[in-house]
Amino acid sequence: MRAAIAAAMSRSKREIPHYYLEHQVDVTACEQWLARTNAARPPDTRLLFGALAIKSVALAALRFPAFNGFYREGKFEPSSAVHVGVAIAIRGGGLAAPALRDTDNISLDELMTRMRDLVQRMRAGRIRSSEIADPTITVSSLGERGVDALYGIIYPPQVAIVGFGKVAVRPCVVDGVIAPRSVVTITLSADHRVSDGHAGALFLAEVGKLLQEPDKL
Amino acid sequence: MNDLDIRKVVLDELGNIAPEGDLAGIDPTADLREALDIDSMDFLNFVTAIHHRLGVDIPEIDYPKLITLNGAIAYLTAQLKSAKR
Repeated sequence: MRAAIAAAMSRSKREIPHYYLEHQVDVTACEQWLARTNAARPPDTRLLFGALAIKSVALAALRFPAFNGFYREGKFEPSSAVHVGVAIAIRGGGLAAPALRDTDNISLDELMTRMRDLVQRMRAGRIRSSEIADPTITVSSLGERGVDALYGIIYPPQVAIVGFGKVAVRPCVVDGVIAPRSVVTITLSADHRVSDGHAGALFLAEVGKLLQEPDKL
Repeated sequence: MNDLDIRKVVLDELGNIAPEGDLAGIDPTADLREALDIDSMDFLNFVTAIHHRLGVDIPEIDYPKLITLNGAIAYLTAQLKSAKR
């Protein structure tokens, strides 16, 4: 497992000219919407912030095709489908990022059900190799006990990976007044052979905008 | 169901989520997420399993009460008692 990760990441760092961007996003609207939505639900159907994060990236990728697809044999092949790879830690070490297929087309409930299934199968070692090869873009999220930001390494032949740090309550200026807000740092590592920082910034800003209206995700 | 039974259910389900964790040696006042390296998805699976086994309602707002072993047992004991009334 460690050798496989090392081989893929070495290849990525050798071949892909990465550039990195970060964007701090107020996700108070997401937190409030999740609290309201989950209050009326049994645990089986509750949603996690991770589901909103993944869906927002899928919708942004649909609008910015330069971050969704494969770089193969000297050229970029954009993908019309969006299959977000979800980085999942394996207990005891290692990780893999199997695909949630057609992420842009499924409801948050369906996305959450499939994410739970992926995590369970990953823990049990029952992930198919096609699921690892399918993703057109990857999302890595360190969850609630993680750090503020993570800068991912692109999984070849993909051309972008989006990182979510932990959601934390911080003082922010809202309408000229300092207020406690839930904030997350979102990063983009992308392939300079395909896109540049300007397009990357627009893509990340789009993710941030989509997270302002969680009920529309 | 007494405290010992509840303790067993909680430890069972933690064992399903963190099979390599040292449950026998766990500090009953430690944060389970730290002690067993449990993330938000694991914790949701834990709550889901407890909900099914004990039939108690565990609203999200009460999650902080379940983050230690002692806290979880006390919370579930109280919930089961109030459900009987």
